[in-house]
Amino acid sequence: MQHNFKETLLYVENISVAYDDKIIIKDMNLTEKDVVRSDVENTGQIIAILGRSGRGKSTFFKALTGLVEPNSGKILIRDFESKEANAAKTVKEGNIGFVDQKYTLFRHKTVNQALKFALRKTTLSVAEKDKKIKDYISKWGLESCVDKYPNELSGGQRQRTAIIEQLFSSDQFIIMDEPFSGLDVGNIEEVKKAIDLLSSTSEYNTLLFSTHDIKLAIELAQSIYVIGYPTINSKKQDYGTIVANYDLREMGLAWKEYGEEHRKLYKEIVHQMMVS
Amino acid sequence: MQKLFTPFEKISKTTSTIILVSWIVLLLTLWFVGTMGTKHLFPNPSQVLEGLQGLFNEGLVVHVFSSLQLCFFSIVMATFFALLYAYSFPIPLLKPISEFVTKFRFLPLTGLTYYITIIIHDARNMQIWIMVIFLTTFLTTSLIAIIKDIPQEEFDHAKTLKCSRWEVLWQVIVLGRIDYVIDAIRQNLAITWMMLVTVESIVIASGGLGFLIKNSEKFANAGRIIALQIIILLIGLGLDAGINFLRKAIFRYSKI
Repeated sequence: MQHNFKETLLYVENISVAYDDKIIIKDMNLTEKDVVRSDVENTGQIIAILGRSGRGKSTFFKALTGLVEPNSGKILIRDFESKEANAAKTVKEGNIGFVDQKYTLFRHKTVNQALKFALRKTTLSVAEKDKKIKDYISKWGLESCVDKYPNELSGGQRQRTAIIEQLFSSDQFIIMDEPFSGLDVGNIEEVKKAIDLLSSTSEYNTLLFSTHDIKLAIELAQSIYVIGYPTINSKKQDYGTIVANYDLREMGLAWKEYGEEHRKLYKEIVHQMMVS
Repeated sequence: MQKLFTPFEKISKTTSTIILVSWIVLLLTLWFVGTMGTKHLFPNPSQVLEGLQGLFNEGLVVHVFSSLQLCFFSIVMATFFALLYAYSFPIPLLKPISEFVTKFRFLPLTGLTYYITIIIHDARNMQIWIMVIFLTTFLTTSLIAIIKDIPQEEFDHAKTLKCSRWEVLWQVIVLGRIDYVIDAIRQNLAITWMMLVTVESIVIASGGLGFLIKNSEKFANAGRIIALQIIILLIGLGLDAGINFLRKAIFRYSKI
């Protein structure tokens, strides 16, 4: 399938995070560009972050979302407010949305109130906000939940609400921390649908997610990064960094049925994770 | 039968009701049988009933109302102060003050009443302020524990929605935990009720249940003392159930 890369949407350069004297992640580099396909109206960017437990995935996500200040390096995202081509800005708290494993929402706000709150800083008029909320609620199948509180929603409904909320508030970037963790087959399908919907809504929508399910990552993502402990001068370090990147678009594996080539990649990723 | 003595064994609702009723029957039987003779430490049911009648004739309802009024004023004022201290807890400059207030709960009641009598001369106000000071320390402790229990994810969630630090405080702590405040009041109600009776018996003002107990003690009227204890217990349980109902009725999202 024909695809082209356009402007850079996410640029991470040499970021390091340490808590007290302990380095958690170091020298992380990542660049993701807007991808366009000739026969598809919108293709959002779906990026998977893999790695064994304790390698710094969560810290990396916290740094990306601005919840943790990196000790060094820079994180830039496309500035959609600027009309200049390739305009970029440094990431601040709130620019990149974050959906955690528990799909946290405000416990005292209904779905409608939560979505209104997420849109409070936009320049839209009240009528436009109402229309946008209605559109998303209908598209994401949440019509029956408009006036429900989080404790009255199912896991899937909570997750969808959390995604829309973050999408409304952030600048089209969303991070999902282990969205498939502990889900049954039906719920996994629901999350996959939500990711498809997110990707097909706007070509600028960019989703990064972490998972321990390598097969799912290969099925869904267009680019996979493996975080692990690097080996420098034959010595394994005790901080996390990106040890491998697989661009499935360039490898000809993205947007395709899972086949033999995907299985080979699976083995390669497992090996990469085991040695790091 | 063996099931009933095995730890963690699950039993049906009917069985658990039978167990509860059996215990109540056993307790009442013990009371009736144990107080049948001429000499007994505990008053028998007819003495308690007699005491209750006497209390009614002497204006029990007015005394109950007086205690409830004191309870209400103290709780409202103490909640106001406790919320101020608890909401100041996340602010680094004010945090030590909030923590210091919680330590005051170890102070004895008697010593403090000495200083309060120097400052406040009206007995009713004295009762209110003693209650407020003590309740504030207990309530602040509970409210700070609630704040400490809020998962980090909730703060991060608010931050990712572009909330300023003050908005995080407002949305996550103030609005997000308002139902917990009611529950904290409910949890502390037992202490409030216990203190109220003590305060009313130390500082005599406009009657109240504590005053009645003190009087009954003076005349060694055991029937009246037990009747009062039962009334105090029932009012306490009623308030507890009422507040819990209120919390669930007002806050649909509240599942504590």
